[in-house]
Amino acid sequence: MPGSAWLRAAAVVVVGVVLAACSGEGRRGAGGTPTELRLAIGGESEEGYDPTLGWGRYGSPLFQSTLLARDADLDLVNDLATRHEVSPDGLVWTVDIRTDAKFSDGEPVSARDVAYTFTAAAKSGGATDVTVLREAVAVDEDTVELRLTKPQSTFVNRLVSLGIVPEHAHGPDYAREPVGSGPFVLEQWDEGQQLIVRRNDAYYGAKPAFERVVFVFTGEDASLAAARSGQVDVAALPPSLATGEIPGMTLTRVKSVDNRGIAFPFRPDEGSTTAEGRPIGDDVTSDQAVRRAVNVALDRRALVDGVLNGYGRPATGPVDELPWHEPAAAVGDNDPEGAKRTLEAAGWIDADGDGVRERGGTRAEFPLLYPAGDSLRQGLALAVADMLKPVGIAVTPQGESWDVIRTRMHADPVLFGWGSHDATEMVNLYSSAQAGVELWNAGMYRNPAVDAELDAGMAATDPQQATAHWKAAQRLFGPGADAAWAWLVNLDHTYYADACLDLGEPQVEPHGHGWPITQGIAGWRWTC
Amino acid sequence: MALDVLTTAPRARLVAARASRLVLLLTAVAVASFTLMVNSPVDPVAAYVGADVASLGPEQRALISARWGLDDPAHERFLRWFGNLLGGDFGFSLTFNRPVLEVIGDKFLASLALMALAWLLSGLLGFALGLVAGVRRGRFADRAITWFSYALASAPTFWVGLLLLYVFAVSLNWAPVCCAVPIGVPADEVGLGDRLAHLALPAITLSVVGIAPVVLHTRQAVVDALASDHVAFARAQGERGFGLVLHRVVRNAAAPALLLQFGSLGELFGGSVLAEQVFSYPGLGAATTTAALGQDVPLLLGIALFTTVLVFTGNLVGDRVHAVLDPRSRLTDVRGRR
Repeated sequence: MPGSAWLRAAAVVVVGVVLAACSGEGRRGAGGTPTELRLAIGGESEEGYDPTLGWGRYGSPLFQSTLLARDADLDLVNDLATRHEVSPDGLVWTVDIRTDAKFSDGEPVSARDVAYTFTAAAKSGGATDVTVLREAVAVDEDTVELRLTKPQSTFVNRLVSLGIVPEHAHGPDYAREPVGSGPFVLEQWDEGQQLIVRRNDAYYGAKPAFERVVFVFTGEDASLAAARSGQVDVAALPPSLATGEIPGMTLTRVKSVDNRGIAFPFRPDEGSTTAEGRPIGDDVTSDQAVRRAVNVALDRRALVDGVLNGYGRPATGPVDELPWHEPAAAVGDNDPEGAKRTLEAAGWIDADGDGVRERGGTRAEFPLLYPAGDSLRQGLALAVADMLKPVGIAVTPQGESWDVIRTRMHADPVLFGWGSHDATEMVNLYSSAQAGVELWNAGMYRNPAVDAELDAGMAATDPQQATAHWKAAQRLFGPGADAAWAWLVNLDHTYYADACLDLGEPQVEPHGHGWPITQGIAGWRWTC
Repeated sequence: MALDVLTTAPRARLVAARASRLVLLLTAVAVASFTLMVNSPVDPVAAYVGADVASLGPEQRALISARWGLDDPAHERFLRWFGNLLGGDFGFSLTFNRPVLEVIGDKFLASLALMALAWLLSGLLGFALGLVAGVRRGRFADRAITWFSYALASAPTFWVGLLLLYVFAVSLNWAPVCCAVPIGVPADEVGLGDRLAHLALPAITLSVVGIAPVVLHTRQAVVDALASDHVAFARAQGERGFGLVLHRVVRNAAAPALLLQFGSLGELFGGSVLAEQVFSYPGLGAATTTAALGQDVPLLLGIALFTTVLVFTGNLVGDRVHAVLDPRSRLTDVRGRR
């Protein structure tokens, strides 16, 4: 039968697959807890594992250790450092390091290695920003001085994120053969496929519970397939794919500061443009009453439930639940009546009865730009338009390329997504010095009092002091005051994890899903 | 004799003509790819830094730009790259932090197995099915095979890949879900069987790209051959069934199938971008995606040139094989040049 030719051919192929696919079983055999952990959480660093090029700037650097770390509450704790101190002028950071730390090749970690690492990172042109460093000097075996060109309290994040590399083993091949003092050592890296790491038994900290950890670099669909077929213990998946039960796995939600919010053009439209010729200003959103009304009218809980399917939290600002978050800056929302009162008090009246308010011939309408192709932001933009219509504000969501958004972002509101453990981001979003720089202060927001607080926070030499200034700034630019932005939601990051795996207390994760969960990987445990 | 024209001196001229055509083609591909890359809306620095871009200051951005050489005018960058290329230096891939040639070499080895298997699979299977369909024209087998081919031709590669992934890897648990090697196994313990198992699903997915045209063209060629005078003559002499097809039809039908197969290397490469993405297979296709999204100009240009040579060679070999199988094409070749 000719028809069976295909069947026969298919059978041959299938049998071949079956015969050859009988490996990978028995990892959990022989009773007891498995000694190997398999994760499909993305995070492959194609350029290798060199911290001076930016490896490990969030999540665990695995192979290297950092001077400081952040605990589950994001508070600073010592790691390689035993003490750090900032000079009163904020220009010199003195760090003492522990003397019992060894690199995986047996050499001790010295202050010279720390100085070398910071110097190399400052010059490398990689993805970590250490440009504020003037010089790094080892003053003795276990003390290093990091001298800065200007005070920068957020420099502490470099101490948290920059893994220390050995001066004697750092060269062009280092990224593929990393040597460090971290909890793991590299065993094998199959580029584009998987990273196999082994426990570093010489690690000075608490030893991980796993002898080996395998990171599988699969796409989202293959990650889900791997989780469903029991081939991985943890899979990072977007909430849209995290539907349904997987036997033996639990769906873990991790809070994040991966936020979405609307940046309002802050200045009125006076016909001015940037040096590149991009228009600046909008006569509707430049009115504080309009920005406040938008903030008050929105029902953020409904956005979370409707657009994020419940995987998220209402956002009150750019740094929700980070240590420097100011809860007092928040306002009550889902209050269309309050929004109407605010608008009417400011003179926005719907005189012609077309459902849109106007004032002095200006209609209360604006477009809302979002990157086309981002279905989440599209959903948010449409929902925002629906919520503001009854209030008398007409919003037209428009999906555009980043190219177009860049040219229009000073004159039209844009739906951005941010979220970082580094307070520098907040400064960049609200400081008038960053107006029109990158995508940061796109609305060209400017309030000298906010600038003063942000500058003072940057210049602070003590974290508590800096936090006080960050909080003061939030009270000034927050929705109850200048309402420079309307923050909408914080996403939840979703992971399928083996029901027997205890991931500890996860941190509030930054923008970027997947690798950040490794922050506490050395403390993960099997519970059954 | 017209065929004598193909010997000695004109053959050298032919090779020279083909080589100069290749050089022209490569130059055009390089210029076009570079223009597209430079004008793409992707900001190279933002793509490189990823989610953390907001805590990166202008000074660091300038450092990265300087390291990537993004500050110079586009034409200078291109000419510098082109000059280095003439000296045999393909440049340095910044996303992979390695020389471009090394990256292409590594990735191509992985892709070669995948593409070769898929190519053989689609060629053999397509030819066999086309033969059956042509011989049984109008019957059930023909209708089934033709329907199957149209279905394959209209099925997107990544969708077929996902379907296979869910049936064979997830539901039946027969095949691995990803990669070219088993998860968590040291390189020296990976056997040939493991590699084949990991190759199976991506290769089947990729072969789907090529099967349908081969089937349909072969079917038509078989139908034409069966209707020809030489087959009628053979039938008159009493030849029947399998023997008739094998001796009188296969060679005629093979010519278009082979030409198609060799000409389809470009589509094969295009399909591998998708198939490798679905199965996290670490080949040239996956590297192309990474290079394009990361604005890695040297790597993407290197891959573009490399695939151009591949496709060009494929077409060239296809022409020669076709000429061997079907002497008539050589005659038109010669007449055409006069």
